[in-house]
Amino acid sequence: MHEPVCGFGIGLRSEHYRDFIATPQRVDWLELISENYLVAGGKPIHHLDRIRRDYPMVMHGVSLSIGGSDPLDRTYLQQLRDLTERIQPAWVSDHLCWTGTSSLNLHDLLPLPYTEACLRHLEPRVQQVQEFLGRPLVLENVSSYVRFRADEMSEWEFIAELVRRTGCELLLDVNNVYVSSVNHGFVAQSFIDAMPAAAVRQIHLAGHEDHGAYLIDTHDQPVCDAVWDLYAYTIGRLGPVATMIERDDDIPPLESLLAELDRARRVSSTAHGDTRCAA
Amino acid sequence: MSATSWLGEQQRRCQQAILDGDPLPGLFADEDCGNGGFGIYLQAYRARLSAALRDNYPVLLRALGDDAFAALANAYIASKPSRFRSIRWFGDALSDFLASSAEHLVHPSLVDLARMDWATRAAFDAADGEPLTVGDLAGLRAADWPQLRFRLLPSLQMLRLDWQVEPIWKALDADPLASSSEPPHEPHLLLVWRPQLECHWRSAAGLEADVLEALAKGATFAACCELIAESGEAEPAVTAAGFLQRWIADGLLARE
Repeated sequence: MHEPVCGFGIGLRSEHYRDFIATPQRVDWLELISENYLVAGGKPIHHLDRIRRDYPMVMHGVSLSIGGSDPLDRTYLQQLRDLTERIQPAWVSDHLCWTGTSSLNLHDLLPLPYTEACLRHLEPRVQQVQEFLGRPLVLENVSSYVRFRADEMSEWEFIAELVRRTGCELLLDVNNVYVSSVNHGFVAQSFIDAMPAAAVRQIHLAGHEDHGAYLIDTHDQPVCDAVWDLYAYTIGRLGPVATMIERDDDIPPLESLLAELDRARRVSSTAHGDTRCAA
Repeated sequence: MSATSWLGEQQRRCQQAILDGDPLPGLFADEDCGNGGFGIYLQAYRARLSAALRDNYPVLLRALGDDAFAALANAYIASKPSRFRSIRWFGDALSDFLASSAEHLVHPSLVDLARMDWATRAAFDAADGEPLTVGDLAGLRAADWPQLRFRLLPSLQMLRLDWQVEPIWKALDADPLASSSEPPHEPHLLLVWRPQLECHWRSAAGLEADVLEALAKGATFAACCELIAESGEAEPAVTAAGFLQRWIADGLLARE
């Protein structure tokens, strides 16, 4: 069985395999990108198995397309389930988005229209995935640069309603909330306030590009001060939540990410004291 | 209209706009404010797929240079949108696309360079297999040999190439600025495989190539010897034993 996961982690990236194999690192758990390991063999699987012996893990996918209008991809789901059996992750997450339609994949995390029709579409799909994987699906809010004209509610109302209808859980990406709040002109704290605290399983912290009038979620630089402030607000509202630094591009030395993770520990400790896992 | 039909229509329009590079699909609030918005998705789509092609074809990229590779990537992305769940596999048809594209094919040997890139990438995360050792054959009785079918390592890629591109591929793999002259036209077989964690490659020609291809189709050891005999070799069994020795030393054969 998988271990309980809480505390502070980072995303496992191939650039850091050697560091994790060579010596114990001060992370409580690691998040792997599921698609990177849906391969037959070779180095990715070899290193993953090796590092898994020393660290609890959670799985994070990018291509479930839970909000897509094509039928769910059973082959992909089977591969995902096989990987969960191999890795025994504490939970499995993906994004509240769609990635393509008509059998094409745009390989992006595209926003959904926040409508009742979309909720009705999502409800059975989330249930199907949860039944297939035998565990709650953890869904992440995405950064967005557009809002559909058809929207009938705010993103946070939409997410809270989806949780209520499906029992899914949440990966709250605080950077994504911040990026979308600037791009769409809403108050980020309103989003956080609307999150059902009991459903929030994990928090992502990441960096973005500032283009002045708008922000782009790039995951290629350190977490900025405004996102740290929003993180402090978030854990003040939600209590301690497993938190990680997510970096996908311009990957720095591990030590640099661990220094950012230490900052997350300090912010959390200021809000809640020592929050080690209870066994 | 059902919820799924309505959503599908919204998504088809959005997807078509991304594929067409249309910044104004008429779906979004404030989409014509010129302030990031939908244009970010248009740009990110091409940048992401282009980056995947650069990852999958690192030596072709170096051979063509950034600008020519970008032009090829853009044409490919427009012609072959991804149907893959994982972006890891995007670009599977690039060598065929290049072969049929006079505009991007500066020299026909580039097709073989692209095929070698893709084969190396395929071997990298192909299924593991344990290489056969000489010791594994020690217990075999003489009577077993004729019907023996050797299995090739699951990661082994065998490609019929027209051009001797391996020296150029090796030079550019080691040094992005390596200079290269036109490769000789010399049809042969390229082998790419992964005995453990690292990928290996080498060329094979003539009889060895024919026998390896026969093995891949399930030929018995006796059939391989017949093939060698038909080629006019004086001592087919000795030649077969020589091949076998080399394949075992290379780690090309798999344990049952």
